[in-house]
Amino acid sequence: MLKTPGHYAYMPWRRRPRITWPNGARVAFWVAPNIEHYEYDPPPNARRMPWPRPVPDVSGYSWRDYGNRAGFWRMADVMARHGVRGSVSLNVAVCDHYPEIIERCCALDWELFSHGTYNTRYFYGMSEDQQREVIRENRETILRASGQAMDGWLTPAISNDETTQHILAEEGVLYTLDLLHDDQPTPITTRGGQRLVSIPYSLEVNDVPLLVMRNTPPERYAEICKAQFDTLYEEGAESATVMCLPLHPFLIGQPHRIAALEEVLRHVTGHDKVWLATGREIAKHYIDHHLAAHEAWIAEGTP
Amino acid sequence: MSGLPADYFVYPRRGRGMDHDRYPFRILPRTAPVQWPGGARIALWVAVHVGHFPMDMPLKPIVAPGGMERPYPSFWDFTQRDYGNRIGIYRMMRAMAARGVAGTALISAQLAQEYPALMDDIAAAGWEPACAGLDMGHIHHGGVAEADERAWVTEATALLRGRFGAALRGWHSPAHSESHRTPDLVAEAGYAWTSGWANDDMPYAFATDAGTLTAMPLSQDLADQRMLHQQNMPTEAFTNAVLAAHAALDAEAEATGGGRILTLSVTPWLMGQPHRIRAFGQMLDAILARGSVWSASGSEITAAWKAQAG
Repeated sequence: MLKTPGHYAYMPWRRRPRITWPNGARVAFWVAPNIEHYEYDPPPNARRMPWPRPVPDVSGYSWRDYGNRAGFWRMADVMARHGVRGSVSLNVAVCDHYPEIIERCCALDWELFSHGTYNTRYFYGMSEDQQREVIRENRETILRASGQAMDGWLTPAISNDETTQHILAEEGVLYTLDLLHDDQPTPITTRGGQRLVSIPYSLEVNDVPLLVMRNTPPERYAEICKAQFDTLYEEGAESATVMCLPLHPFLIGQPHRIAALEEVLRHVTGHDKVWLATGREIAKHYIDHHLAAHEAWIAEGTP
Repeated sequence: MSGLPADYFVYPRRGRGMDHDRYPFRILPRTAPVQWPGGARIALWVAVHVGHFPMDMPLKPIVAPGGMERPYPSFWDFTQRDYGNRIGIYRMMRAMAARGVAGTALISAQLAQEYPALMDDIAAAGWEPACAGLDMGHIHHGGVAEADERAWVTEATALLRGRFGAALRGWHSPAHSESHRTPDLVAEAGYAWTSGWANDDMPYAFATDAGTLTAMPLSQDLADQRMLHQQNMPTEAFTNAVLAAHAALDAEAEATGGGRILTLSVTPWLMGQPHRIRAFGQMLDAILARGSVWSASGSEITAAWKAQAG
């Protein structure tokens, strides 16, 4: 077993080569709706049972089903109203089950990246070939459904195995979200030396941990997200930062919470030095303009 | 590197629509608008959990939310919940009656035997009775044998039908928990509507082997039991969230020209406490003050919906 992921060099939060975003923006703000399907009767995985209750877990299944029937549509409308695009963390089987959702995402000019096939199929215990096959199939599905290249990756339920990041790099994925170690993009070290970068996702301002695990009422959720933004905006004057707002339509799209999302987006879009970006845009800008400087700084021992 | 078994990569239900046969996929904003009586924008459905929590309830494989939390024999847990059936529900009945708000009682059927006076008072208040299983110690789930589950449904139905007769039309699976066959057994027992599946804001048709049920929206997320008890939030977190939901649903009704449902999932042993009852009343006042509210029972709402959309 590994003691650490081993995928990134230590890059202390001082004297790090400065990052800039287009038009002098201080923060790249990106929204990552997790559009998922949790299966009614999924197969077991030795390291994690897909449902806490015996199948069918009607409580868990119907809660998540709400996201696709109702929550997504409400969430998408609010985002569109504020001119904020989504970068969809997509269980790609959604393309087959609910093509209407994919049509809406594409009509809104959203990015689609892979969050695996289903949220009930974990990477835990997959062989390298099995991981590779899923990654390739996911890429084909996204291309077929949207015409988009699959540039980003978040392992379903963040169930990555030891080798997943290496395989992503070998398969030509541009950016991974499986690591939560920074507020800026960073290079990812891979065994074959293929290029892969990490861009910030979040479990701090993610609606699942906040609303479900940390019992946060909607108005407090909005305060937390705004505070996160305010600090990253302030610090971004020194070197530009990234704020990701991960969403789950079955939570944030509920009637009692949708106003909290509206409040956060109103706050963010009320600032002028914000780059309303997608994951792909952030990754590409970082690769094109800053990756080499970061790698050089690491090579020099982060002086 | 042997990896996972090959069948981990087989997706037998990967295709258009749902991965079960209970209902087709539906998109809420694309459903045909439904008009409530009097042109109300909001149907207010107050679903009151009238539960019986036996002290010896099984704690496996599911601890029912709100179930026994301390070692047997927990007088603490039992009596705290039983308070709801003695005091809390009467306080809520008074608060609701004062405002002309109807209730739908989701009843642990065992209470028809334990507290027949409570059943009389629910009927006298004009509340609709619905069955929430035998009691909170009989949670329907995938590990229950078919014969047992059938016997539970039959017994629970007999207990409540014995008191309420044909007025018993709704079923709520306690803890929002079911086996694969629960909906079939429920339909077979003659129920018309259910509220176990928390996946929509409007009713929809739910297929069973014994005919079609109407699924009613009952959130497990926006519920006093979850927010006040499981999540330890303050009372106003719940009442504020209900009012935020009302504002959002009311705006949708206004925009689409179709009615929406505001469901209150409330529990007498929680909401009927002295320190909460004023907040409950004030929440009802705020809902009614927004106007265009039709206070209705589960059967009234499903009937209105079925007449137009079902």
